[in-house]
Amino acid sequence: MSDTTAPPLLELRGVNKSFGPVHVLRDVDFTVRAGEVTALVGDNGAGKSTLVKCISGIYTSDSGEVLVAGERVHIHGPRDAAHHGIEIVYQDLALCDNLDIVQNMFLGRERLSGIILDEPSMEELAQKTLAGLSVRTVKSVRQLVSSLSGGQRQTVAIAKAVLWNSRLVILDEPTAALGVAQTAQVLELVRRLADNGLAVVLISHNMNDVFAVSDRIAALYLGRMAAQVKTTDVTHAQVVELITAGRSGSLGLQPEEAL
Amino acid sequence: MRAGPSQEEIRRQNLGALLRFVHVRGQISRAELTSELGLNRSTIGALTAELAAVGLVSEEAPRETGRAGRPSLVVRASSEQVYAYAASIGVDRISAARIGLGGVIMDRREAERPAEDVVTPLREFIESMEAGVGPGARCIGAGVAVCGLVRRADGVVRLGPHLGWLDQPVGAELREKLPDLLPSVVVGNVADLSALAEHTRGSAQGCSNIIYVYSDVGIGAGIIAGGRRVTGHGGYGGEVGHMVVNPNGRPCGCGSRGCWETEIGEESLLRHAGRTGQLGRDAVLAVVDAAARGDAEAQAAVRHVGDWLGFGVANLVNIFNPELVVFGGTMRDVYLASAAQVRSRLNHNALAACREHVRLRTPQLGDDAALLGAAELAFEQLLADPLG
Repeated sequence: MSDTTAPPLLELRGVNKSFGPVHVLRDVDFTVRAGEVTALVGDNGAGKSTLVKCISGIYTSDSGEVLVAGERVHIHGPRDAAHHGIEIVYQDLALCDNLDIVQNMFLGRERLSGIILDEPSMEELAQKTLAGLSVRTVKSVRQLVSSLSGGQRQTVAIAKAVLWNSRLVILDEPTAALGVAQTAQVLELVRRLADNGLAVVLISHNMNDVFAVSDRIAALYLGRMAAQVKTTDVTHAQVVELITAGRSGSLGLQPEEAL
Repeated sequence: MRAGPSQEEIRRQNLGALLRFVHVRGQISRAELTSELGLNRSTIGALTAELAAVGLVSEEAPRETGRAGRPSLVVRASSEQVYAYAASIGVDRISAARIGLGGVIMDRREAERPAEDVVTPLREFIESMEAGVGPGARCIGAGVAVCGLVRRADGVVRLGPHLGWLDQPVGAELREKLPDLLPSVVVGNVADLSALAEHTRGSAQGCSNIIYVYSDVGIGAGIIAGGRRVTGHGGYGGEVGHMVVNPNGRPCGCGSRGCWETEIGEESLLRHAGRTGQLGRDAVLAVVDAAARGDAEAQAAVRHVGDWLGFGVANLVNIFNPELVVFGGTMRDVYLASAAQVRSRLNHNALAACREHVRLRTPQLGDDAALLGAAELAFEQLLADPLG
């Protein structure tokens, strides 16, 4: 359970982003708490990816505030985001097939012992991280990534994000390309990340995945945050309405706002 | 007025507490034990020495700690030396395992359930596993998980509807076949024991109010309320599969009509998916898989089951106000595929105060939960009185 008195791990206030004449994000507020899975849902083009890219520093927002653990920060690039403990697992996973699990997890951030790579310590940390996530499906951390199944790759990509003492992990459609058994494993892993105390943002189109693991649901509608609700307070139909119409009864954008 | 507990009682109590701690939490240093159990250092030293003398725990110097000072000895349960046998009798399959103190699965066997006699294959499993045991090890007994109603007093399976059992003394029969090896055989319901295992060392660790909904062919639940197992007067409680949710529903195998099982059980899912005649776990998973791939009939079936699953869970949440509901057996996959329906029903039908903190989860121990729970039952006596 999350501590409700502590400031949220990530808070966005009034974020705007335009690409030329296209106003993609309009005054978006977004809150993510430690120990919780926040599902980010919305139709195609609602602004989910843009929002995530603003958080991760790939895009710079035009206006608005970003607070990490209650403190105002400026994120100008992915390195800034990593510095604040924000890691992202993209849909394509960004893993290198020709490298093994350890090499992938430390890619570009290798540990050195003098001038040579500190292989034993990297291997140990990789193993520890996988064990900490109760991952039993991966036999050896020296396996090449090309030999892994889709679910195992997703697991490695998530473990890679967790390795860096990260505080917030953002997962972009982690189950989109997986079969049923592997989807179940990845969902359980996502849940475990939050139960271990991390803040997790899950982007998904699958309402079952969203309801199975999330604590809160944030619905974007045409670049606006329609509503951010607790999963224990809403029904499937309400969330679908928020996604497709921006409002559902008293929830969401009121008619004059939802242009 | 009753006199306070005697020295002897306190010592037994402390020995049990220490052994249980090491059994549940794994290896731990003496220093940590001191702070966790709130006993002083010399008491912990004396208690561990006593347990080590009878071979229940072992102590060793830890690896490099990187800190200053003499490192505290690490205490661990002797999983190799002290073990129990666990068996699980499901509708389709039977399995058995040798489980060391500390909940470590040392060895396991599995087979299809024979139609008639299950005790003989279980005996063969145990004998073949016993052949691999090192010298000096001791078996403290066996625990059996059965999908049926088990009388607490003597472990007789009063009714195993999907096994076709009536008044089967399966525990006594197993002990009769292996009198020298098994000092005792305890029997419990599979949902109860799975709940116990998840509560002890799985996803429900640290939770005092949980409901573990288990589905094999039928539906049962293991309920833990206020940290204690709720099994009722005779031991038959938790048969949530037979609460009537739809009085106009289909007849149930129990003789009633519209039981929860008739709406969310394996048979219902397969019938709604147009797959009558198929049975078993693989058939259920095939429907879930087909639904994920876009088969409209399978999707409708999963939604139907999810809807009714939500109704029942809402009732249970209103009655027990649990902090955690775990979906085990084939229900794990059905739940994940229909979580939107389940959550929606629960949010719509359960009282806000009862449901606001309830978490819906899948098990952490998977199919091992029944075996680990059965072993837990077998270890109970030892943990209550380690030297007894």
